[in-house]
Amino acid sequence: MKIAVCIKRAADMETRFKIAANGMSVDETGVKFDIADFDGFAVEAALQLKEREGAGDVTVISMGPDTVQETLRKALSMGADKAVQLKTDAVPADALAIARVLADELEGGGYDLMLFGRMAIDAANQSVGPMTAELLGVPCVSAASQLTIANGRGTARRELEGAADVLEFPLPAVVTIDEGIARPRLPSLKGIMAAKKKPLEVKPAQVGESRVKVTKMELPPERTGGRIVGEGPAAVPELVRLLQTEAKVL
Amino acid sequence: MTPSGRPLPIVPGQYQPALPIDRFIVAEPPDAEAVPMDVVFVGGGPAGLAGAIELARLARADAEAGGSLGDIQIAVLEKAGALGEHCLSGAVVNPVAFRALFPDLPDSEFPFRSKVAGERVYFMTGSHAFRLPTPPTMRNHGNYVGSICEMVRWLGEKAEAAGVNLFTGFPVASLLVAGDRVVGVRTTPSGLARDGTPGPGYTPPTDLTARVTVLAEGTRGALTQAYCRWRGIGSPNPPLFALGVKELWETTRPLDTVVHTLGWPLPNDVFGGSFLYPLGSKQVAVGIVVGLDYPQAALDVHELLQRLKLHPLVRSYLEGGEMVEWGAKTIPEGGYWALPDRRYGDGLLMTGDAAGFVEVASLKGIHYAMQSGIFAARAIFDALKKQDTSAAALAPYDQMVKDSYITRDLYERRNMRLAFQHGGIYGGGVKAGFMTLTRGAFPGGRLTSEADADVARTADGVMRVQPDGKLTFSKLDAVFRSGNATRDDIPSHLIVGQDIPPAMADFYSHLCPAGVYERDGVRLVVSPANCVDCKATDDVGPRWTPREGGSGAKYRSM
Repeated sequence: MKIAVCIKRAADMETRFKIAANGMSVDETGVKFDIADFDGFAVEAALQLKEREGAGDVTVISMGPDTVQETLRKALSMGADKAVQLKTDAVPADALAIARVLADELEGGGYDLMLFGRMAIDAANQSVGPMTAELLGVPCVSAASQLTIANGRGTARRELEGAADVLEFPLPAVVTIDEGIARPRLPSLKGIMAAKKKPLEVKPAQVGESRVKVTKMELPPERTGGRIVGEGPAAVPELVRLLQTEAKVL
Repeated sequence: MTPSGRPLPIVPGQYQPALPIDRFIVAEPPDAEAVPMDVVFVGGGPAGLAGAIELARLARADAEAGGSLGDIQIAVLEKAGALGEHCLSGAVVNPVAFRALFPDLPDSEFPFRSKVAGERVYFMTGSHAFRLPTPPTMRNHGNYVGSICEMVRWLGEKAEAAGVNLFTGFPVASLLVAGDRVVGVRTTPSGLARDGTPGPGYTPPTDLTARVTVLAEGTRGALTQAYCRWRGIGSPNPPLFALGVKELWETTRPLDTVVHTLGWPLPNDVFGGSFLYPLGSKQVAVGIVVGLDYPQAALDVHELLQRLKLHPLVRSYLEGGEMVEWGAKTIPEGGYWALPDRRYGDGLLMTGDAAGFVEVASLKGIHYAMQSGIFAARAIFDALKKQDTSAAALAPYDQMVKDSYITRDLYERRNMRLAFQHGGIYGGGVKAGFMTLTRGAFPGGRLTSEADADVARTADGVMRVQPDGKLTFSKLDAVFRSGNATRDDIPSHLIVGQDIPPAMADFYSHLCPAGVYERDGVRLVVSPANCVDCKATDDVGPRWTPREGGSGAKYRSM
């Protein structure tokens, strides 16, 4: 089975963010980057499918400047077989523009399964995967938390609000992966050594017009500090009064 | 009597467990699956990376000149999840070792924040700061202020470009030995459940073979301690350590000079001082360094730093700003008389902080670390060329260190730190002054010293600070700012002594800046996930051992 996983390089979400001087992006100084969270789950899902089948080929694809090579190399050290960088100066805000570049690469690649993270943890559009499926004219399942493949058909389980559903679909298909699937493995030392020798192909990519643009980015308002009203049962009347009159939640 | 009902004084050494040498020194050959390397650097700090870069270059130059060495594989194993995340320093850096390693680069290319524009030394009281003339040992003209995290990330890029295999997130658990010879290393496993059994995502240890293993573990390296004990390598005096606790602040009022202070909030009989360094115009590093031979059982370095920030001099720079990072680290400050008798063995070298190359009077270690790494690389290169990596073949490393500014600087200030154990801040200060004037000739000889663990702890009376969450912080808030996100169900990597009495539990809880130890009634409660690998208790109490890769702090600009 031939699997492609489209991954994005994104800031480590533990980072304390600052807005860049232009007011439209994150200040990248001192920020650590890694495979975007859900994309890591997608890589893990692909590797497990390959291991279960005992055969197959996992290609990781990322779009962006040369910094994404580090991200691709990490996926290779986890166990992916080859990597493709779709070289662009930047990743546009327009999900459709991204999907077009990815669909061009995936088209004719002979992939049985094309995996994405449920969403990029930084942009949170949740749309590049489904749009790519649409452009390729293949079925799309979003936010799968379990995925099995048998006899050319896939089965995916999705966690819904208070329920779950199970979907079946023919291959080739696009599936976006939710975190329930399995924790992404850490690269082993041997994996890191092996990754140095795996192919990483750099292909120049043309990004079409981005019709969606970021005009502003801001941090959430700072939380105001809590207040200690008093201690013990004696403080309860005052607390109730404040909840009624000040917070107006009672 | 103390509030906990135990009489003081207490001597921490009485409750310190033995160093588990058999965990660190394993007489097994590397397994059949071992990753073959020629040289392994244990630790991706300034020493390990400088050594790896120099060695990779020497090997390449040899290959280009048609030499006999051939392709050699060099690995750097770093326990942090990414380079620099476990590195912490002031830091005012002497650029001499950067220049030695990169002779073609101008200073402006080095990963420093800014040149030292001026410096001031103050003697502090609770309300005032009296400016002192800068002691000659503390002059920093021509040096640079920077973040060791940034320096190490930069060195990592250079190492990678030079063809070095960088493995981050791989702590070394053991040296693999055959007879007297180190033949490789074994990493820690990861994914263990709390009870030590393999959990989900378990990765077994990996062995690496090495013709030479370079210990570049940093302060209180566990393998270095074990190796020295195993091979009977001692030092004239016991090593001494200090604990530094540091915060990085984003500030609104720029600081234009390097500031060092003596005196308050430290008690008079405690060795130490504090610093304020400008990192560009918008950031200030503030920290305090305290010798771990302090006699007060309740002294708490983290709290002393919180108290320091309440002083008008310090407060004026920080107020209205934001604390963005917090961290702690021990500093080897035993100096010349505490250096290991030899820093080489069969298939092994010791470098940097692990070997004790820190000069405490000038508060410097980074350039000694890098320089020792460079010397290690040169000695290894010659040994590999001769196909002989025995102790005798690696011994020239020690000679290079002895003939260099590393030993010269440490020898000149050989008794300065020790004078303070003998005379406190005033008596010690006067003696240190004479030592400086006489370039170490006064009083000559060797002042003896007591190991930190053997110092009895008595008087209480250290004042507590109520953290306000703006200028002052609790240990819990502080650990959060270290970026520590170690999973809670990791097995404990700390070896705690048996039957720890409440007074000793209190001592640990004050000593540990990260809130790992707490006393609950008569019981000592340990929260290993809080640990930021500062190694303070390893010096006088519970032992530190390497744990799963990527655990602990995630410093970005410390």
